[in-house]
Amino acid sequence: MDLSFITESLYFVKPEIAASASIILLVLLDLIFHKNKTIIPYVALAGIIITGIFVVDQFNISGFAFLSTDNPKYGMIAVDNFGAFFKLIIIISSIFVVAFSAYSDEINKITDRLGEYYALIFGMILGMLVLISASDLILIYLSMELLSLSSYVLAGFTKLRDRSSEASLKYLLYGATSTGMMLFGISILYGLTGSTNLYIISAALQTQSLNLLTLAFSIILIFAGIGYKISSAPFHFWTPDVYEGAPISITAYLSVASKAAGFALLIRFIKTTFVTFVDDNGNWQLLQVFDWESLLIIISLLTMTLGNFTALWQRNLKRMLAYSSIAHAGYLMLGLLVFSNQGLIAILIYFTIYLFMNLGAFFIVMVIANKTGSEDIDDYDGLGFKSSFLGVSLAIFLVSLTGLPPTAGFIGKLYLFIALVDAKMLTVAIIALLNTVVSLYYYIRVLKHMFLTSPTEKTEKIPLNFGQIAVIIIMLIPILLFGVYFSPVVDLAKSYITILGF
Amino acid sequence: MLTEFGKIFVFILLAVVFVLIALFAAKLIRPSRPTKEKMLIYECGENPVGSPWIKFNIRFYVVALIFLIFDVEVVLLFPWALTYQDYGFYGFLVGLVFLLVLGLGMAYEWRKGDLDWERGIISPPILNEILKNKKAPLKINDSENQITEEIKA
Repeated sequence: MDLSFITESLYFVKPEIAASASIILLVLLDLIFHKNKTIIPYVALAGIIITGIFVVDQFNISGFAFLSTDNPKYGMIAVDNFGAFFKLIIIISSIFVVAFSAYSDEINKITDRLGEYYALIFGMILGMLVLISASDLILIYLSMELLSLSSYVLAGFTKLRDRSSEASLKYLLYGATSTGMMLFGISILYGLTGSTNLYIISAALQTQSLNLLTLAFSIILIFAGIGYKISSAPFHFWTPDVYEGAPISITAYLSVASKAAGFALLIRFIKTTFVTFVDDNGNWQLLQVFDWESLLIIISLLTMTLGNFTALWQRNLKRMLAYSSIAHAGYLMLGLLVFSNQGLIAILIYFTIYLFMNLGAFFIVMVIANKTGSEDIDDYDGLGFKSSFLGVSLAIFLVSLTGLPPTAGFIGKLYLFIALVDAKMLTVAIIALLNTVVSLYYYIRVLKHMFLTSPTEKTEKIPLNFGQIAVIIIMLIPILLFGVYFSPVVDLAKSYITILGF
Repeated sequence: MLTEFGKIFVFILLAVVFVLIALFAAKLIRPSRPTKEKMLIYECGENPVGSPWIKFNIRFYVVALIFLIFDVEVVLLFPWALTYQDYGFYGFLVGLVFLLVLGLGMAYEWRKGDLDWERGIISPPILNEILKNKKAPLKINDSENQITEEIKA
């Protein structure tokens, strides 16, 4: 007997190996440098960059790792360009989150637990990297649990604050329920098709005649698990409480990276399992076993409407951004429900831009909360006059989140809506457009408080150091640049839509 | 001859007989000086009879969790131990890496003091400020002991 099937697969999982090695290194350093932990953030940053180099190395490589024993044509991990693109998004947002944590007062207060903090962030990174390229239901479930368990702990990391513990407990309860439902769905799907590999399941769905009602039941249960990760309605109830209670650096991470991993999983699950072939125009031909289109249209419209209308009433900026991130999950689903390569390109473009604008908004909220200790919208009165750089940057990020030109958010929404119109889904496009109008109100309300209200005596000037300005500018440049010169992003997205098997 | 189930029956019989003999022999040999504590129902140091709403040391849970994790991990070693020779040195190396990671977890718990029963009292910062302001520190532990003594009496 030999273990060559494992050693040959190691070539495809270099980023995951680097992330695992970083976890071990961080725990070791945490034990060695028991008193002084200033070195740990730098080691974490180095670990992320090395993982990132391996991810970039994976571009234009495709293949299966850990081949299935029943059918060696397919494997548990599918390495392809689509996965590499999402992995890069995870890596970039992780680098930003390490930078956020370095400037976060909440995190800097707990220096004795920094080792655990970064080790858990690497736990999340590892979970997400595996989740993005997993093509086996068991591996999907395992990596999802790794991601969730790390994020439950991180959400409650400032454990002396009541809200943080509340966030952690709520996240755990919702997470346990929905992953439990997902596992139930997986067991039914396995019972129907006799395999946990998505490609073999797809072949079984095409050849065998199955009980469609049972299949629909299992798919909806699996969708509940994925929907919870991307916080789509009606599985979104945890989002506002967790986002409000968690440390802001973790909130920003959950809203971008964890959502990206969830979307990558949803797209891969649908495309490998339910799409038979892609025609010359780039339209995906779905198997006639489950009505994905209706389900996704309903969920998407429900998600964005609920998110936008509830955000109207929020007075806490973190909570408002939580509802806005729910609404953005709805917009992103629009790109999937057209079932074409054009829609997938739109999702990739939107995610690239969403990464910068959402992280930027959270970073500025964090910098302000460091000084004022509050995220209440009334504390932003006259901020534009006192700290004009912060005010203008937050304004740009929020305008971009709304989707107004000349910011990059406009380009993202434009490509999504073009994909919808090309797929002749005008009603959906109009409802989504009206939703954008609603979202304009609550984003612009922050601008009103910052620029049109005169400063009260409570308003202070917020001091910025060089590093914080640099982080903000690094996030501002793509937002402004891609708003007018967007062809590089579009070209990048076009070349990274290949999913293995098509 | 004995069937497979018959052998199991013999094992059960032996087990019962062994316990009975051991108990009987112990009764003959041991000195008997019963006290109140010794006569209590065995319950790991907790009070076995009375209201369930008692203070329960949270460190029991920590120890239980650590035990559970290592117990489950050791179970994973059994299949490895049975087959690693088929894979040669490489198979041995795989198990070694697993054991090293396990050892790291052990070292982590040791260094962080989760294995110590006696730990410094961690009081939330709010309580510290109250204590600082009052200047006459409350003797929490003393009052607790007093209450338990009163209950016993």
